[in-house]
Amino acid sequence: MSPGHPPTLLVTGATGLVGGGALRAVLDASPDARAFALVRTRDAGTALRRALGPLGARVSPVLGDVRFPALGLDASVRSELRGRITHLLHSAGDICFARPLEQARAVNTTGTAHALELAQDLGARRFVHVSTAYVAGRAVGTVAEEPSSGAHGFVNAYEQSKHEAEVLVRGSGCEFVVLRPSSIVCDARTGAVSQVNAVHRALFLYFSGLVPMLPGDERWPLDLVPADWVTRSVARLTLDPEASGRTFHLCAGSGAPPLGALFDLTDEVLRADPDFRRRGVSRPDVVDLATYRLFEQSVQELGDPKLIRILRALSTFIEQMTLPKTFETAGAEAALGEPAPAVLEYWPRMLSHLVSTHWAVARENREAA
Amino acid sequence: MSAGLASIAYAFPRGRATLAELAAQGQLTTRPEVLGRFGFEEVRVAVDESPYALGLEAARAALRGVDPESVDLLVYAGTPSAAAFQLPGEPRSRSVLGTLDRFKYPGPRLQFELGLVRATTFAVGELACASLFGALRVARALAESEGLKRVLCVASEFFPEEAGREALFNCTSDAACALLVEHGATRNRIVAQAQVTKGYYWDCEGSREEIVASYFPTARRVVEDVLQKAGWIREDVTWVIPHNVSLRSWEVLLGLLRLPRARLYASNIARNGHTLVGDNFINLADALEAGEVRPGDRLLLFSYGFGAHWSALAMEV
Repeated sequence: MSPGHPPTLLVTGATGLVGGGALRAVLDASPDARAFALVRTRDAGTALRRALGPLGARVSPVLGDVRFPALGLDASVRSELRGRITHLLHSAGDICFARPLEQARAVNTTGTAHALELAQDLGARRFVHVSTAYVAGRAVGTVAEEPSSGAHGFVNAYEQSKHEAEVLVRGSGCEFVVLRPSSIVCDARTGAVSQVNAVHRALFLYFSGLVPMLPGDERWPLDLVPADWVTRSVARLTLDPEASGRTFHLCAGSGAPPLGALFDLTDEVLRADPDFRRRGVSRPDVVDLATYRLFEQSVQELGDPKLIRILRALSTFIEQMTLPKTFETAGAEAALGEPAPAVLEYWPRMLSHLVSTHWAVARENREAA
Repeated sequence: MSAGLASIAYAFPRGRATLAELAAQGQLTTRPEVLGRFGFEEVRVAVDESPYALGLEAARAALRGVDPESVDLLVYAGTPSAAAFQLPGEPRSRSVLGTLDRFKYPGPRLQFELGLVRATTFAVGELACASLFGALRVARALAESEGLKRVLCVASEFFPEEAGREALFNCTSDAACALLVEHGATRNRIVAQAQVTKGYYWDCEGSREEIVASYFPTARRVVEDVLQKAGWIREDVTWVIPHNVSLRSWEVLLGLLRLPRARLYASNIARNGHTLVGDNFINLADALEAGEVRPGDRLLLFSYGFGAHWSALAMEV
């Protein structure tokens, strides 16, 4: 990266949690930075600029879609961007764990291939790839901030498609940075949840008294990170000249709380809600995988549609809970100068937010699904 | 001084029905092959017996060799009021609430017919399949507080005829069970008892999924509670004497409790199905009779009753 050259980014996934947050953080940190944001509709571009407030003046929406070659950009737009883009920040992705592999690949893998081709065509100096810590798949133990082999297999198509995308990035010849967040849950300062994922859905079911048990071990860690820290970190590492060719875990790492401690705290916070307390909802038990599978099988056999739906919602990620792993974070911590915020410190704020909003976000999301 | 079970007796009706027969009669909502995989084969069905008649038979058996006048209290925990005297297929009489028939209680009639001239009676209710656990709880407390020597607990319950033979994924039997509780008994000693009630689940039909979800973790909690009260650890439990709500549900629950399958006395689930009143004690009587449960063994009994109640008992044989 040539010092003194104002960064000009092309951002995919700018309307999403990580891409949007990182875009804002880059513009905040670099007053002379500009950005082009890939959006699928004009309305989305207008909404993005509005959401960014005064920073939006430095953002130009461009219409496109990662599923298409050259991200679907018009030739005229490509001409305009050629030679101007310093960083292509690729954070677009399909984070639904339940997709069939081909559908997940269409966005996560093929979309990355399209982004890499475009980066080369435009002469972007750096390709910043937002991946996931769970490209580690079924691996257990310590996971290094290094390329994953994929040899252990994957729990879902999301993990596999993201792993395949990383392979493309590393083999592309582009200067790259790979950033791997774990499960992003909320804003650490406010507890606000702006994008509902599998963790929040599972908590909603817990709050509703519909989760009897989960597989795993109370002592095993569950890696969670706050959105504001992740987006700040993505922005910093995007612009960090020392980050080239490296992989960073944006994870709680050795600070990830054991599942039992997280459940205890969850139970304690939810019990402060009079309605939850009155219903006498039990804290889910943590059981071995065989017991969980037997319960799951029983529900399938009995054919209760609601229970089947609940277990299906949990099934796409739940196996990760039986594959204990600790993500190494030494590289990220050294580059960022700080570890991820302590989960147990901000977790109560997130739960209080979810309870006080009556899980509105979760409900909207569920209805949309 | 502790209380124990001096005798356990039960009575089944004459009729039996296999899963296939129940399915053919439209008595099941779940496919019979699924219920088969859950451990059921057949159930006991009243033919010409009333709940009261079976209760009387079980109570007589429990009192065999006992002076009826030595019984201080009878606790009835079965089909309430006049419904206890109704025979299968008998047309329901008009509501008894507006007539003196509402005061035809099975408890006092048992007291009379059994010759328990010194015994007072009352009934406990609304505990469903945990009824005998509730009766025992009251019996122990009164034996302690009022110095009662002998308490007879009787429960007799038939599943309503129009309700089929299935209650939330299990297969139900008609039966009666009687327990003679003795203050200071040295065998079948009740070491500890625990119960959790969650009234949120009072509407069984309206909260089926929530009940299923709550069932397992709450069961684990009440079992841990009773073990703690007994001063036992899991490894101390020689036998788990179950309610027969399905072998499968016990296999899952044993996983939660981290107890081996070999400690579950499960022989009766297939042949008896789930009686509403006395599974655990019927199973215990059979296990004692078969010599599988021996003196000194430590037993864990657990039952769940709609309402919703989770009940556990720690006993030493």
